[in-house]
Amino acid sequence: MSILRTVAVQKTYSTRGIETQALNGVDLTIEAGEFTALAGPSGSGKTTLLNLLGALDVPTSGKVLLDEEDLASLTSAELSERRLHKLGFVFQAYNLIPVLNAAENVEFVLELQGIKPHERRQRASQLLERVGLAEMAKKRPPEMSGGQQQRVAVARAIASEPQVILADEPTANLDSTTARNLLDLMQQLNQEEGTTFLFSSHDPLVLEKAKRRILLRDGLIEGEEQGPYKT
Amino acid sequence: MLTLFRIALRNIGRNRRRTSILVVTVAIGLLGTTLSMSLLWGIEQQMIETATATDLGHLQIHATGYNADPKISRLLSDGGKEIDGLLDGEPSVQAYSHRIRSEGLVTSPKASVGLRILGVDAEREPEVSSIKNWIVEGDYLSGKRRESIVGRRLANRLGVQIGDKVIISAQDTQGNMTAESIRITGIFRSVSSDIDSGYLFINLDQSAHIFGTHEAISEIVVVMNERQSALPLQAKLSMNRPHLEVLRWDQLRPFIAFMMDTTQSVAASFYLVIFVAMAFGIANVMMMSIFDRVREIGVMLALGMSRTRLLLLIITEGVLVTIIGTAIGLALSLGIVGALSEGVDFSFYSAGFNDFGVGSRIVPLLKPEDFILPIAISMLTAFMASLWPALRAVQLQPAEATRHE
Repeated sequence: MSILRTVAVQKTYSTRGIETQALNGVDLTIEAGEFTALAGPSGSGKTTLLNLLGALDVPTSGKVLLDEEDLASLTSAELSERRLHKLGFVFQAYNLIPVLNAAENVEFVLELQGIKPHERRQRASQLLERVGLAEMAKKRPPEMSGGQQQRVAVARAIASEPQVILADEPTANLDSTTARNLLDLMQQLNQEEGTTFLFSSHDPLVLEKAKRRILLRDGLIEGEEQGPYKT
Repeated sequence: MLTLFRIALRNIGRNRRRTSILVVTVAIGLLGTTLSMSLLWGIEQQMIETATATDLGHLQIHATGYNADPKISRLLSDGGKEIDGLLDGEPSVQAYSHRIRSEGLVTSPKASVGLRILGVDAEREPEVSSIKNWIVEGDYLSGKRRESIVGRRLANRLGVQIGDKVIISAQDTQGNMTAESIRITGIFRSVSSDIDSGYLFINLDQSAHIFGTHEAISEIVVVMNERQSALPLQAKLSMNRPHLEVLRWDQLRPFIAFMMDTTQSVAASFYLVIFVAMAFGIANVMMMSIFDRVREIGVMLALGMSRTRLLLLIITEGVLVTIIGTAIGLALSLGIVGALSEGVDFSFYSAGFNDFGVGSRIVPLLKPEDFILPIAISMLTAFMASLWPALRAVQLQPAEATRHE
């Protein structure tokens, strides 16, 4: 059974009367355990598609199904609930909560899930250790490097034990070594724990690691490939 | 909830300059309100105390119709015996005394002045009024014949000193004009220009002699242990006694009751102005704070934070800042009122105050409601003022907000 599925999804943005077609009928299925990248040039609709899959936005037409549940049928509160329990997010700009330290950032999601303080602390500590940042638990985002912040973001994303992690250009702000380390970590989580990852990226490093690549162009799926990445 | 509170607390510490401005605004608002109110309460309190301690007491008992037409012939013909018995057994009563009250003319070689003549029980009067304490020259009444005490202003108008004689001319209970020569034996100075210039106190027996009242009296003045207990006693004394007119101090002097109502209205106006200004301040600061954090709010929503929780977070921030400002404002207010426990000297303005029965030294007074009400209104204001920015925040779309620069 698919985790995420889109059926003839279209998305049109309207700014000052000018309409822009960001997605033009996308049919896509993501299965459990995938390590997939949405590839394509800027403006191809990668982020728009990721936002729709992440229940952060609604399509103009077509369907987005999470666990075969049509997101259009859900209320705002139900969408929040689905994001909290079924989806994890890693953003391009890390987007940690600046007033919370690394451990608290991870705990934040657990608290939203209603997990008790003691268990929260324990799990946050384990997750930071898992991403190799146990010693940074008390550091706030401004005191960490970009790579470290993105690792905390990964720990936060996996904290809620989601069915899929959506990562929007996760390596865009990182140098290649840090990006490689981050991707290794994600790959390890995918292989060892079966965590499903869906990236949007045009970074060759991400595309190299991805088991499946979906190429988007002008709001349409132009093609897809599996196996080793050929530049 | 703990993280929510932690985030709120840390968020208000993020832009310290902005938070400080808001805290100072709230603190100054609260300080200004409570200090102004403490002075107003102080004035009101002094006005009531002066009035009740001079001639009003807390309750006065007369023959029915006396207050509408205070003729000397409207008397308690039994000399107050019916009521005295009841008052003696009433634990809420601190003291009571008998008086004969009339109006008349006092003539000295220099001037003639129309005034109120109060025949008082020299022994019991100090228990119901402060007249004895106000003597600045000569002596208080001793009960001897032909004694009288007058206010400093009246003495000056009449051009008399201690030992001088004056003539009292008045109408007796039969409607005949009567005159009596008396001696000025004491001069007092109160905080009320009205009392200082328009009252003459003589002994009760002397008064009975001048006005021909015999055993009868005009009034019984009662002082209660607690001002508030005048109301139930009034009801008790009035019951089944249509021949008596029992009135409270605020009914006898409606101007004071009006002043109390005015003080309440002034308080309400103060609160309204201060809290409207505070509301704008809070809303403005919270709005700026949200605008600075659009992306962060978007991330919280994306991570699954419910919009209700987000609403709560932003309102908590507004309320927390207000709590800090309120605490500082009220602490300063307590400190200043404590430091002014000896009173504030308004002698440069005292002539105006004396016309209202208020002295030149005002002791600021803070009532518990001066704290409870501002705290409650501050919190409500903070809640309402934060609600608007909070509602704007929860309307953010996570997809757009997470990309906000």
